[in-house]
Amino acid sequence: MTGQTASYSLEEMMAVVISREVRDFETVGVGALSPIPAAGSILAKQLHAPHVQIIILESGEKEYYPFPGGSSELHFLAQRGDLDLFFLSGIQIDRKGNINLHVIGDYQAPKMRLPGAYGSAMLYYVAHRVILFRTEHTLRTFVDKVDFITASGISPASVCREGGPTLVVTPKAILSWDRTAGEWMLEAVHPDSSIEEVKENTGFGLKISPSFKMTPLPTDHELVTLRTVVREKLIRIYPAFAKERIRSG
Amino acid sequence: MVQAGSMGLPFISVRGLLGSDILKHRPDLRVIENPFRPNEEVVIAQPIRPDVSVFHALKADRWGNAITPGFRDDLMMARATKWVIVTAEEISDQELTSQDAVNETFLPSIDVDGVIHLPFGAHPCSCGSRYSIDDGHLKEYLEASMEERAFRLYLKKYVDSVVSHEEYLKQVGISAPAEKGESG
Repeated sequence: MTGQTASYSLEEMMAVVISREVRDFETVGVGALSPIPAAGSILAKQLHAPHVQIIILESGEKEYYPFPGGSSELHFLAQRGDLDLFFLSGIQIDRKGNINLHVIGDYQAPKMRLPGAYGSAMLYYVAHRVILFRTEHTLRTFVDKVDFITASGISPASVCREGGPTLVVTPKAILSWDRTAGEWMLEAVHPDSSIEEVKENTGFGLKISPSFKMTPLPTDHELVTLRTVVREKLIRIYPAFAKERIRSG
Repeated sequence: MVQAGSMGLPFISVRGLLGSDILKHRPDLRVIENPFRPNEEVVIAQPIRPDVSVFHALKADRWGNAITPGFRDDLMMARATKWVIVTAEEISDQELTSQDAVNETFLPSIDVDGVIHLPFGAHPCSCGSRYSIDDGHLKEYLEASMEERAFRLYLKKYVDSVVSHEEYLKQVGISAPAEKGESG
């Protein structure tokens, strides 16, 4: 590892981790305020997924918005079953995979009111895989039960549901979704963290995945690509994020 | 749902949402059994038909054709609405067609009821590549909105005490209205 790639920002690390999850030939959707998954998806396209179709809402870029209409285009594409991967976040994420994008506290007298669901209460059900991301791994984020279920992690058999949660990516770890048990497992811990630290900062019990590993460090190749080609492309869509969070290569 | 409103339907089915607390707070969303697939639940939504909606356009003509920035669902929203008003940076004397909307959204006159020339009408938000968000003003708004008294002062300064759009622009520090004829 060279001097330049020996350190990396939280956002760079998460983008690299996310890029490794994107598969070639997938159709991948990214929301309007999701620069980290956008960086990860573009990085994947540069490295191992050259045929991926990336759709970034509100990007205004032909390459990342292959539609003639508004954001309903992505929603309808997803409803038709053609969206392989989508990224969502939540101010809270709970034991059962529920996400909260609405309120902290009581709905009628909230401590904090958030923008709301937008398409998430539909996309969480219809995208084949959903990767959740959160830029903090804390007890206030990973709670036993969310204050408000914006979209539920599990659905009964009476609900037509193609997809759902698969992973959560945070600055400390990757959690994976155990479909059979309907709960999160600790899939990987990033180099600067530990199993103990992750467990202490998660508000519910976490079993260790059978395929558990330490997250491999970002490689020189990953970081250099992220800081050159990917940063250049990202600057056109998320200028402040790209300039402030991705180092210039 | 606006989609149902734009199509003039009595209701429309929606995917997802089952198990979400949104259903507890939205009387316009109901759960029914899918009549075509017994034992499957599905959410249906009432149509939304706004009385009035306002779209800010880069350009509009005197007949009501308009071009709004980027690719948007404006047409769907306009069709759902009973009375559609377009405010525009620029009024074109020539009839606009969908050919003039390259990488932008075209609203045909049949879906528009009124047009108003309103340069910087999107302020403090952005209008395509014509002008970007006024960060300073938005910050002022956000700070004012945290406290009742401060917000009243904000309203007094920018809403109550200005009698015209020109005065508003002066108050927020925009002196020159957009020049007519400039291409967007």
